[in-house]
Amino acid sequence: QQDDTGARRARADAVRGGMTVNRVVVEGSKKVEKTALLNELQARPFARVTNATLAADVERIKNIYNRVGRGYADVSYRVVDLPNGRYDVVFTVTEGDKTGVKAINFVGNTNYSSSRLRSLMTTTEMNFLSFFKNSDVYDPDRLASDQELIRRFYLKNGYADFQITSAEAYFDEAQGGYIVTITVDEGPQYRVGNVNVESRMSGLDVSSVEGGVSTSTGDVYNADAVEKSVQAMTNTAAKQGNAFAQVRPVGQRNPETHTVDIGYVVEEGPRVYIERINIRGNTRTRDYVIRREFDLGEGDAYNKVLMDRAERRLNNLGYFKKVRVTNEPGSGPDRVIVNVDVEDQPTGSFSVSGGYSTSDGFIGEVAVTETNFLGRGQYVRVAGSMGQRSKGIDFSFTEPYFLGYRMAAGFDLFSKYSDETKYARYTNRMTGGQIRLGLPITEEVAVTFRYSLYQQEMKIPNTLSEPYNDCTNPIYGTTVLNSDGSPNAYYCQNNGEASLAIKEAVGKTLTSLAGVTLTYNTLDNTRDPRNGLYVEVKPEVAGLGGDSKFFRVTGDARYYRELTDDIVGMVRLQGGHIRAFGGKDLRIVDNFFLGPTLVRGFAPSGIGPRDISTLDSEANAVGGTTYFGGSLEAQFPIPFLPRELGLKGAVFADAGTLFNYEGKTYFPNSSYNTLLEGYSPGSMCSYGNTGTAQNCIKVRDKNVIRSSIGASILWNSPLGPIRFDYAYALSKDDGVKVDGVRYGGDKTQAFRFSGGTRF
Amino acid sequence: CDTLSSLNPFDKSDKYTMDTTPDVPNDQLYNDGLGRLQKGDYDAAAKKFQQLEKQAPYSEWAPKALIMETYTRYQQQQWEDTISTAQRYLQRYPNGKDAAYAQYLMAMSSYNQIPDITRDQEAAAKAMESLQVLVNRYPKSEYVADAKKKIQFAKDQLAGNQMEVGRYYLNNRNYTGAINRFRDVVSQYQQTRHVEEALERLAEAYMALGITNEAQTAAAVLGHNFPDSPWYKDAYKLLQSNGLEPREDRGSWISRSFRGLAGAVGLEG
Amino acid sequence: CSKIGESYQRGYILDEAALASVKKGTSAEQVLHTLGTPSTVSTVGNKTWYYISENSHRKAQFLPEKTDDRRVTAIYFNSAMRVERTALYGLQDGVVFDFISRSTPAAGVEQNFVGQLFRGLTRFDPITTN
Repeated sequence: QQDDTGARRARADAVRGGMTVNRVVVEGSKKVEKTALLNELQARPFARVTNATLAADVERIKNIYNRVGRGYADVSYRVVDLPNGRYDVVFTVTEGDKTGVKAINFVGNTNYSSSRLRSLMTTTEMNFLSFFKNSDVYDPDRLASDQELIRRFYLKNGYADFQITSAEAYFDEAQGGYIVTITVDEGPQYRVGNVNVESRMSGLDVSSVEGGVSTSTGDVYNADAVEKSVQAMTNTAAKQGNAFAQVRPVGQRNPETHTVDIGYVVEEGPRVYIERINIRGNTRTRDYVIRREFDLGEGDAYNKVLMDRAERRLNNLGYFKKVRVTNEPGSGPDRVIVNVDVEDQPTGSFSVSGGYSTSDGFIGEVAVTETNFLGRGQYVRVAGSMGQRSKGIDFSFTEPYFLGYRMAAGFDLFSKYSDETKYARYTNRMTGGQIRLGLPITEEVAVTFRYSLYQQEMKIPNTLSEPYNDCTNPIYGTTVLNSDGSPNAYYCQNNGEASLAIKEAVGKTLTSLAGVTLTYNTLDNTRDPRNGLYVEVKPEVAGLGGDSKFFRVTGDARYYRELTDDIVGMVRLQGGHIRAFGGKDLRIVDNFFLGPTLVRGFAPSGIGPRDISTLDSEANAVGGTTYFGGSLEAQFPIPFLPRELGLKGAVFADAGTLFNYEGKTYFPNSSYNTLLEGYSPGSMCSYGNTGTAQNCIKVRDKNVIRSSIGASILWNSPLGPIRFDYAYALSKDDGVKVDGVRYGGDKTQAFRFSGGTRF
Repeated sequence: CDTLSSLNPFDKSDKYTMDTTPDVPNDQLYNDGLGRLQKGDYDAAAKKFQQLEKQAPYSEWAPKALIMETYTRYQQQQWEDTISTAQRYLQRYPNGKDAAYAQYLMAMSSYNQIPDITRDQEAAAKAMESLQVLVNRYPKSEYVADAKKKIQFAKDQLAGNQMEVGRYYLNNRNYTGAINRFRDVVSQYQQTRHVEEALERLAEAYMALGITNEAQTAAAVLGHNFPDSPWYKDAYKLLQSNGLEPREDRGSWISRSFRGLAGAVGLEG
Repeated sequence: CSKIGESYQRGYILDEAALASVKKGTSAEQVLHTLGTPSTVSTVGNKTWYYISENSHRKAQFLPEKTDDRRVTAIYFNSAMRVERTALYGLQDGVVFDFISRSTPAAGVEQNFVGQLFRGLTRFDPITTN
């Protein structure tokens, strides 16, 4: 009888006597997707509705707006009769403005300022940027996770007794937002008492694992450091072959002395073996490509270290959106089943990237890359690039597991053409190929053997627009001639002239070069490193056939360290030396031509020895055979800006030098009409006893330290990573001053922009 | 983020406008859908069937519309949509006249996604499962024969996947992993073609470990059940080169399970 | 083995003391308790349990793993599942030969390069929208 009345009341409440709805419409909703709202409602086409269900729908819409930070939203509904006897239901929404978190206050935080604690939280206060961000929307569960962040921060800094006594938020009508108050009880700061390591495993003595402990007496007690020590000790124990070793920290807190005694107990954990390794979700990558990354097999003892190593390797492969390695109990008590859930990401990419770099001008690149070719883990890349001043195509292929061993064998074919620029008066086409074999020795050290064979062709353009050789073969109509028809020395030099050394190097040279690359890499993340060291040394020898015979070695070392939570510091050292052998002189094209890659703030080939026997010395760098460079840099998120914009700043200081030109400076049988060479006032070059300008060049080769300081902005824009560098050169070689005119100084270039997008 | 749309001054006020689309009679909607389906305009056809099902949810048109929508999605090779519409049909009309066909379309959607054996065989497992439901629940339907053939193929793929992993461990000299994987194939996938190779690989693995009596047993069972299989010839040659004969231990677990199989399949005797 | 390489303990980690406690007549449950689940059981209706353990090392990451020594502990049970005898197979018992390279042909959708590549293209989304 009771539900009977309920049913009768429902029928009375039914809209239009229970007729079905024709259409449901939502008006005025801008901030929330209409379809998202419609799906939430009970009212649907062909459904029967009552005033009660419609009122419930109104509440539901209000609730959605509340969660999105629009507490003021007002919702109403009306029923519109249609001529054909059916009716529509219309919900009208007036959204009102944002109700976010107006203020976050802290009570009881004596040791750390409220702003310091606020910076830890993901919830932020409303400010002039509220328009952009939604991190200032009041969201209870985000607030709860923030409290956890604060608690972990205090634990890291020794406040073992830290507690958050209360955290309330009330809606303040006047201020139009939520006021959050968090009261904390910090308690005393604890320091580490005595630390001991005890081994309860036979055959494992304490001294072998003790090294992993990073908590020492007197330090501020740091929960993270304890965790790191446990991890390090377990790793070393496992590495020594006792796979079941397990380290248990025991903390003994004595409140009077505010110290914590930490004991590390090394004992034998449960003896567990791997029953099965199930690889799931690999719709593209083949099973063995994943399985071979595990140093463990089925039937082996479960070893966390090797398991984490495998997971890290799988992530570094870059074939998967996500990799999750989980365990589930196996058939026996000492059996575990390892489930490897991967999600393939499309590794084939057809990318068109545009960019601008001050040395190459505008560059466009079309590249087809497949990093997981046919799911076999092979890397294939075909790329063509077009730029104002450079063009090129290259093809490369790598098989990471050559003949089933972890050897990365591959080859590249390339043809690059770089046009003359205002820094180099010659065009250079490089075509060739390279085969390489990469052998990882340990997890950090790897050796790669390379053999490359390429041909370089240098030309000096001598056209109307680029008259860089008109002193030798004048161009009718542009070169100013003397009365006797020979080119006028001053004018033909003035419109830009390639150095005699470069004129001599014109033509094709074949280089056949074998080299080894030794790398030591402990970076935590190759794409965006925060900690770790990367060292690369590349000795190479050219001369097994081919025209050039030289020995070259280059080195580059970068050390990253996380200074504070967000600031990453980097120290970089680089150097290189090239020396000819076999009696032949070094070809100019093999010299080092360095600029911004050595010291930022200098133009390309802006550093190093320069031929100042021509007026156009700016564009006639002749390269050097030895270079050193160092740089200090710190990257940090730009304060006050919301993190979602992806803007990072950096400040840096560079220093370096390039010197020691060993090429020829005297060209006795030069075919070029060189009478005019060396005609730059005050810097005549002269050889032999004649004392007059013969076929020679005068090279200014000063081993002076070039340095610069600067700042850059890195923007991870939706269009791709873009970097603006501004560097001010502190010290440089100013060149020689003759009659008030400077010749042969380094070329600076304060502003550099490089960026582009891959989509 | 929502900033762009709120900046847009031209956002016409989406006021409610009354529009009454006249109801299209059911049979015309249905034929419209069929027409579009013939022309290959799958999306439009599916919309027509959805509209029909919504318009007359309790009429006898609804199951027809739903099964046609499932078929349209299947033709369009939209496997996930086929599976979801088929499930909707089976929930609402478990013993409708096209229930078997819905189950068949659902099973075939998973079946068509079965990759080669080096990849995750989840689709094969799902296909086998729903094909088995078809065989059990609709024994008299005309799809049962085809379903049984497809179950065999799906099982073969699952066995192939196990063999792939077994061979990987064998080549890496991890005999424990290899032996246990080949044992799985022998015990769970006896009716597939891979069982012959599994037995031969067991003989190889045990021989590599030096446990010759196990190798002999595996080879003997292989010979007994698949006398003219190339794999038996390999196993025999392997044993002979080490001065052994395939000697079957009647009590062995494998031969016992095979005798069970042999009886069923009529190999015995 | 040399310092820079890594040494691995493959398969069952042998515990001499526990092994010594397994004598003639010990029950199967007792063996299961002391030694744990066997690496594999025989095709002889699990009347023989094998504990396979190996030590191997790898001088450099790119080199294959070399087995230094292998011990297969076989425990034979009688019909009442009591230990009859135990046997030990070493590395020297193993026979070295090439496995058959042929494998049973299996079908399935073979991904061709072009199809895979352009499947990647369908994710062509120049500007991330949110």
